[in-house]
Amino acid sequence: MSQQLLGVQARRTSSKVGVRPHRRIPRHEAVGLWLSRVVIWFVILLTLAPIWFVVEAAFNPTNAYFSLGLFPSHPSLGNFAYLFHQTNFMVWVKNSVIVGFSVSVGQVLVTSLASFAFSRLRFWGRKYGIMVLIILQMFPNFLALAAIYTALAKLNLLNELWVYMLILMGGSAFNIWLLKRFFDSIPKELDEAAFVDGATVWQRFTRIILPLSRPMLIVIFIFTLMGSFSEYILAGIILETPNNYTLALGMYGLISNQFAKNWGDFAAAALLSAVPLAVTFGLLQKYIASGLMGGVKG
Amino acid sequence: MAYSTAAERPARVRRVRVSGSERLTAYGFLSPAIVSLSVLSLVPMVFAIYIAFTNFDANHFLSYQWVGLQNFIALFNPNDPLFSVFIPTLEWTLMFAVGATAINYLVGLFLAVVLNNPRMRESSIYRSLLIIPWAVPGLISILAWQGLLNQDYGQINGFLHIFGLPAINWLGQPFWARISILMVNLWAGFPFMMTVSLGALQAVPAELHEAAAIDGASKPQQFRYITLPEIWKLSLPLLIPSFAFNFNNFNAVYLLTGGGPPRPTNEFVGYTDILASAAYKMTLTFNLYNWAAAISVVLFIVVGTLSWINMRYTHAFEEADTQ
Repeated sequence: MSQQLLGVQARRTSSKVGVRPHRRIPRHEAVGLWLSRVVIWFVILLTLAPIWFVVEAAFNPTNAYFSLGLFPSHPSLGNFAYLFHQTNFMVWVKNSVIVGFSVSVGQVLVTSLASFAFSRLRFWGRKYGIMVLIILQMFPNFLALAAIYTALAKLNLLNELWVYMLILMGGSAFNIWLLKRFFDSIPKELDEAAFVDGATVWQRFTRIILPLSRPMLIVIFIFTLMGSFSEYILAGIILETPNNYTLALGMYGLISNQFAKNWGDFAAAALLSAVPLAVTFGLLQKYIASGLMGGVKG
Repeated sequence: MAYSTAAERPARVRRVRVSGSERLTAYGFLSPAIVSLSVLSLVPMVFAIYIAFTNFDANHFLSYQWVGLQNFIALFNPNDPLFSVFIPTLEWTLMFAVGATAINYLVGLFLAVVLNNPRMRESSIYRSLLIIPWAVPGLISILAWQGLLNQDYGQINGFLHIFGLPAINWLGQPFWARISILMVNLWAGFPFMMTVSLGALQAVPAELHEAAAIDGASKPQQFRYITLPEIWKLSLPLLIPSFAFNFNNFNAVYLLTGGGPPRPTNEFVGYTDILASAAYKMTLTFNLYNWAAAISVVLFIVVGTLSWINMRYTHAFEEADTQ
């Protein structure tokens, strides 16, 4: 609606200012524009087709998923019913939501504290600190598996959801860098003025920097949330009993045992768990774009 | 503002005096990150580097010994069985990491340039649609692709069938399995690159184009000599982590093909195994911890060095000495 209005406005201005009101778009540009549109439509089609296939499979009761039509011939909610009655789907969702939200909150806290230090405070190691941390995190972290597993087994802490969460909460050097770059783009005068007025470092951080960084904190929150939903390796070694399974473990189990039989159920589970996340992601899209580019000034 | 100069002076004086305590405060702020990174990254890393110099495997589980460089020599010795595991896997890892990053970036950049046309008024709708793959958690989409690419039941082959094309054994043949991995990676990865490129495109100062236009540069020339270098400069800091990420992109391989199809020449790694998934299998399936550790150390040296060179070159991750 508002976009239409903007369009009308833009057209009006252009016809007022335009040198040739009878032909606003030069012919070769119009051709180029339509060519671009066709290319984009084609790419959108290719991008969304696989998603449509999954949606279709979710509503297709027969599991014989060689259905060639655009819609399943006898759509039903059978797969969803199976998911709720015959599997632990709700338990997986509950665990994933608990893990996802706790880990994301924890990550935002750890990251923002460290980023504030890198952006505003002076200390030994500041210059190359983030670089070293990023390079250190490139060490393949599944190698920690053997070490983590042995340690947890000795401490009798395996199969505990909170232990798994705690491990995922560890600082991420890339997030620290992203957020630090955002903090850098907040004018220093703002918090330095407060400093002069007697604010403590902590107040500078919580009263000035954090409220101004809300968009970027949201971005880090959603990135971490998405990441935790995809975490498979650690979950696989720490969480042993089905009542502790996360969506990742449950869904991997669905598709890897008796693949052909469970494809429809898997598709239903994929749909139910991906849609809420995708909608959230879509709503935050503008923050994500500006957050990634944040602080980089051309 | 006379007020600000007056205010700055006491601040300076104060900062010099409390710099010791500022340092302490800084470490306080950093400690949660440093402690968790140390426990979860540094300690296991040191442990793994140590293991790489021992004969720690299922047969020497309780009493393993220091063997020096033996594991590393084996990695590069053509007569050693480890060589046939390592070198082909390393080649494919490099191909995958470079290929996936480059393809995703080029496609993302291309779409961004097309969408950045100011005459395309509806382009924000297109952008929202194209970003959808990014909004789906990777694990879910990769597992779903595993189903879609299934040779007998998968809808991709069903789709090809409509056009009279023969079914392809996507995940069962070395060539097609590799294509599948790159394709799925492109599907999931181009929205990120597109977003980054669009951000970079919009950050290119308009004055540059105006100045160039006055100097008589054509639109293609402006694109080639102004837009591209600017985008490159802005997106490079995000390309490097993306390359390093792909180098270790375990999920992209393991959840799609499990590393297969298997190689006839050895039982340990398949045609699509990258070093990350190979090390994972060495650890969990074959209990060859020393081999896994040695592979990881080499992996780390390669990725770390490349990234370090790139970072020094772009200065993106450095902080100026003065505030």
